[in-house]
Amino acid sequence: MPFRLLRGGCPYCDLCCTCEIARKAVYGRDALYPFLPSKEFGDVQAGGEIFFEGYTRFYNLDHVVLLPCLFLPDRLSKSVELGREPLFIDVDTETTLGGFKVKVPLVVAAMGSTDVANKRGLVLSEGSAKAGIIQVIGENVINMRGYDKRISSQPCLKERILKYLENVDSDYGGVLIQQNVEDANAELWNKVYSDKDLDEYIERGLIGFEIKAGQGAKPGLDGEVKVNRELALKLKNKFFFPDDPEKVKKELYERHSVPGTFTKEILKDMIKLAKNNYPRVKLWLKLGPYADLDEIIGVASKAGIDCITIDGSEGGTGMSPIAAMRELGYPTLVCLKKITDAKSRGIKTSMIIAGRLFEGGHLVKSLCLGADGVAMGRPFIIASEGRFGPANKPVKKLGNQVDGVVNFVEAIKVEAQMLASALGKYSLEDLSKGNVGALEKVVADMFNIQYVYE
Amino acid sequence: MTETVHLKKLDLSSPNILPKSYIAIRHPRMKKVLKIQATICMAAREYLNSLGFIELLPPIIGPVTDPGIRGAKQVTFDFYGREYKVMSSAILYKQMAMASLDKIYFFSPNIRLEPLDSAKTGRHLVEFVQIDIEQAYANYFDAMEIAEGLLTYVVKKVLKEHEEDLKDLGRELKVPRRPFKKLTHREAVDILRSHGIKASYEHEIPWEAEKELSFMFEDPFFIYDYPRGARGFYDREDPKRPGILRDFDMLYPEGYGEAVSGAEREYRAEKVIERMRATGENPAKYGWYIEMLKYGIPPSAGFGIGVERLTRYICGLKAVWEARPYPKVAGIYSP
Repeated sequence: MPFRLLRGGCPYCDLCCTCEIARKAVYGRDALYPFLPSKEFGDVQAGGEIFFEGYTRFYNLDHVVLLPCLFLPDRLSKSVELGREPLFIDVDTETTLGGFKVKVPLVVAAMGSTDVANKRGLVLSEGSAKAGIIQVIGENVINMRGYDKRISSQPCLKERILKYLENVDSDYGGVLIQQNVEDANAELWNKVYSDKDLDEYIERGLIGFEIKAGQGAKPGLDGEVKVNRELALKLKNKFFFPDDPEKVKKELYERHSVPGTFTKEILKDMIKLAKNNYPRVKLWLKLGPYADLDEIIGVASKAGIDCITIDGSEGGTGMSPIAAMRELGYPTLVCLKKITDAKSRGIKTSMIIAGRLFEGGHLVKSLCLGADGVAMGRPFIIASEGRFGPANKPVKKLGNQVDGVVNFVEAIKVEAQMLASALGKYSLEDLSKGNVGALEKVVADMFNIQYVYE
Repeated sequence: MTETVHLKKLDLSSPNILPKSYIAIRHPRMKKVLKIQATICMAAREYLNSLGFIELLPPIIGPVTDPGIRGAKQVTFDFYGREYKVMSSAILYKQMAMASLDKIYFFSPNIRLEPLDSAKTGRHLVEFVQIDIEQAYANYFDAMEIAEGLLTYVVKKVLKEHEEDLKDLGRELKVPRRPFKKLTHREAVDILRSHGIKASYEHEIPWEAEKELSFMFEDPFFIYDYPRGARGFYDREDPKRPGILRDFDMLYPEGYGEAVSGAEREYRAEKVIERMRATGENPAKYGWYIEMLKYGIPPSAGFGIGVERLTRYICGLKAVWEARPYPKVAGIYSP
């Protein structure tokens, strides 16, 4: 079946599951090739795609390419080490990211209480734990879904946390629990930190906390969802509802979180307080594509943050105003540039980039440009469907959706291994700026990398 | 008779005794501790009353409580359809009292659902009482002076009335030498570093480091001028030295660690709202308190001294739960 390559990605995903992500989720590493397993091989030919799916408004990682060379002293060293010719499978993808040991520097980006994410919460937890990657559980789950008891038909927060932790393999990975203003009002971190069922995992270093300070799709606005009347009435005192559920009768009600007020001093206080109050967990910070990223990164790393995730304006969401997605903030590539700059200023803090990144190439190119890892949100939602082809007529559907997540990670991993090995790099940690070039002069100048047409 | 033999074998400092506090309480050692504790409370009242402090009844519940407690969870319950908290400290109410009486104290019962690792420190209880003192228009040096006077008075009184009991407990207690040594946070960090112990100018002193520091002194001592960031929003920032709080801790010597936490209070709404964001919460949660600050209260300074830790120090007890009749420790289900 033909499938859609996602140059630039889809602005709206209704889980048609006909794209390369869904294909990877179902076929795993077999989906790295342009034909479906076995059947088409031998009858089709292929070459790289050279078209954009429409013009993008701004530069993105598609304007960056990897630059393999023939002369590769690094490959010779690896060959000496192995006593044989190296292959892509020899590329080590393991590393530590923000204080956690991971099999691939790939993160399931914070997905919170919104239906589309929360109802897949347990699948995502199990899949990411089994794949040995980090999962961040997003905001508002405690108030919307309950802490340790369900208050809707969907999983509560502790179910999602425990599902992850109970499936961890050899202490790879970790689960981060995000806290926004409303979560803080509900004392979320204190609850987790003194939870008897979670203490063992805190001791094993598998739990972290993430300060929510924005996201790509709505920097400065924070969480927005729609909830039914029953839940709206319950949450009335905790969130802002433009339509008062007691006075206005509707099927669904808009529910808003507050973005929270930050200044340099407030962020510093927040990090220091959390480090002091929760010394046994790692502390991460989630940022939107803010114009003052340079300063924020400086303040946060000095205050002792363990990892910073920056979500570019192409980043996904369960719900956000169109205007916010269109107008607010730096494109992902600019956020990546802020990471590159911070690293060249000598900042050692782990930094993760996110925002419309969904394949192994994105991972490798981001690492070349200074990021320590890549976070993906929507791709994991698609992967957790475990289906290739439309819902009413799937080409293939997996028996267990968890396998969709595991397969997807495996596919990304092998893709990254293939690309890195082509560059003569046998550890993802060794990738560097010299391995990439730009298709646009602006991008080349921005990162100080080779402009390939020059 | 069998029971007495059995009792004498009991190790009151073991956490295993906690679920059986009905046995621990009849131990001869425990009886002595409880009598000394009664004297401690009486002496504290005597001292504070002599300085003109008025004892107020403490609040037990309220819409909000002190959030500045290291990782401890609050007890939240339903109060006729609204969320209420059991006091983790009465600090907000001490400030309220300043609008009425200039010098007050509470014997304030507090509940803090401490993280589970606190069970191993031997100095954290979930349920405890602190003598919570506040004085209007005082500064933090005045507050330190009161804390020093209070401790010295109490120790003298116990030595006078319980010489035999202390001997039986194996405690050699001395009257602390005044004035107590005062170290800035920075000086304390320097001392720790010179002993190869990790500590930072920017952060609180970790529990273990604090214990080490406490072993280095023979008399109680103060650490003051903590860096902004790790303390409650009510500790006042020095207007002339941004980033430094006008606050202090008093530490017991001999490894007993933290005795007192105190400070000058922030009483201006705009400063408090900024500082409150450190916990990530919405200031609206502290509605009545912010309204009160906008209405106006006098500046003040004060401190809290935990009765059980004080008893532990005076009696020379290994664990703080030996200093309470029915102790509750994080994660241990006990009467």
